[in-house]
Amino acid sequence: MAGTLVDDHPMTASMDEKTRLAVFEQTIVPHLSAAYNLAAWLTRNKDDAEDVVQEAYLRAFRFFGGFHGGDGKAWLLAIVRNTCQTWLRREKGNRSVVMFDEQTHSPELAKTNPEGMLLKKFDVVSLRECLEGLPVDYREVVILRELEEMSYQEIADVVKIPIGTVMSRLSRARQRLAECVAARVNGGLV
Amino acid sequence: MCGCQSERGVGMKCASSRHLLELHLDGELSASESAEIEEHIENCALCDALYRRLEQLQSDIRKQITRHTAPAKLQRTIQVALRKAAASESQPPRVRWNWMAVAASLLLFASLALNIASLRSRDSAARDILAQEVLSSHLRSLMGTHLLDVPSSDQHTVKPWFNGKLSFSPDVKDFSSQGFRLVGGRVEYIGNRPVAALIYQRRQHFINLFTWPSSSPSQSGYSELKRSGYNIMSWTEDGMTCWAVSDLQTGELEQFAQLYK
Repeated sequence: MAGTLVDDHPMTASMDEKTRLAVFEQTIVPHLSAAYNLAAWLTRNKDDAEDVVQEAYLRAFRFFGGFHGGDGKAWLLAIVRNTCQTWLRREKGNRSVVMFDEQTHSPELAKTNPEGMLLKKFDVVSLRECLEGLPVDYREVVILRELEEMSYQEIADVVKIPIGTVMSRLSRARQRLAECVAARVNGGLV
Repeated sequence: MCGCQSERGVGMKCASSRHLLELHLDGELSASESAEIEEHIENCALCDALYRRLEQLQSDIRKQITRHTAPAKLQRTIQVALRKAAASESQPPRVRWNWMAVAASLLLFASLALNIASLRSRDSAARDILAQEVLSSHLRSLMGTHLLDVPSSDQHTVKPWFNGKLSFSPDVKDFSSQGFRLVGGRVEYIGNRPVAALIYQRRQHFINLFTWPSSSPSQSGYSELKRSGYNIMSWTEDGMTCWAVSDLQTGELEQFAQLYK
């Protein structure tokens, strides 16, 4: 048993590696799809999302001693989010982020090209683009609330912010989304 | 609530109720608070319109924004990496990575083949689910959150404890003299019913024994399974179904099952 684990829980600490791995595979690995979804929305790049999720899982396993039971999903997503943050900070200094597809997610660009927008199924495409264009602090609360259907408390645990901040960020994010979609539907005239 | 219909200060007051509308939308209000705001929405055109827009946006997001699906190979990659990490922590002399990868994929392939084979009959599929529940319950109990409801090595304390908690009285015996010490019991929920869980200890190993009245006829022998390195045995005797799970060697778990029978 490695003695390097931070904040070891007595039960997980007394487990041998085989048991630890088995418990980890039962409680944490099943949340892979949520982990990948969050990473993909935060990094906006599929290859990077894979790398981030893999790195997050290894970190999670290393710090599994700090998991005291309870909601494995929120515990894992907090680590995925941290790993994404590190990645995004590193990325800022390096290259410009490669996006999911060629379509831009910037509302400003859409405004300069209203003809192109008319040809799109604006309802589906623009909502997605608007969400991708939201600042990451707003984007993550929307993903956790609407796609992962987490409660405010669970979101607060993942993002490590007070519940009141979850509420105000979510509210602000919704206003921005609504404004962005409305702007596109009206061809950027609003 | 907020006098939205009054002429002056309409925007201000409704802006403050916007938060309440969103809390209601997200299911964060108590039943009485929800009832209150619903009544208000009915009587306030502004809040009604705002709430409809919020509902529409939520349903648009949930319908139109698809989740990103992880590529199939990612789970395999992660499992290989985890096994490698676990192996390198427990064995200082490093095993070559390639070997670990090969071993892990063989294991994965074998367990996949086993799963497919076991899916063949519905009976064994049901057993499969039960085995999974039994194993999960065992693992959860070892996580330290909930191993025992009644910690006692005295069978005369443990057995009566189940009275009133279950619709049956489980057989409780201590086998300390044979090296299987009774450490206590708890109530679990397995196969859609409350069952008795008895916990035994042999050296540093725990055994969870789950038992409940059987719906099928007695079966003379044992069924044995191996999952994630754990041994699982099940049998039916005197109208009771029993499942035992532990990381003990098969031989020792069999010895325990013989004793309990």
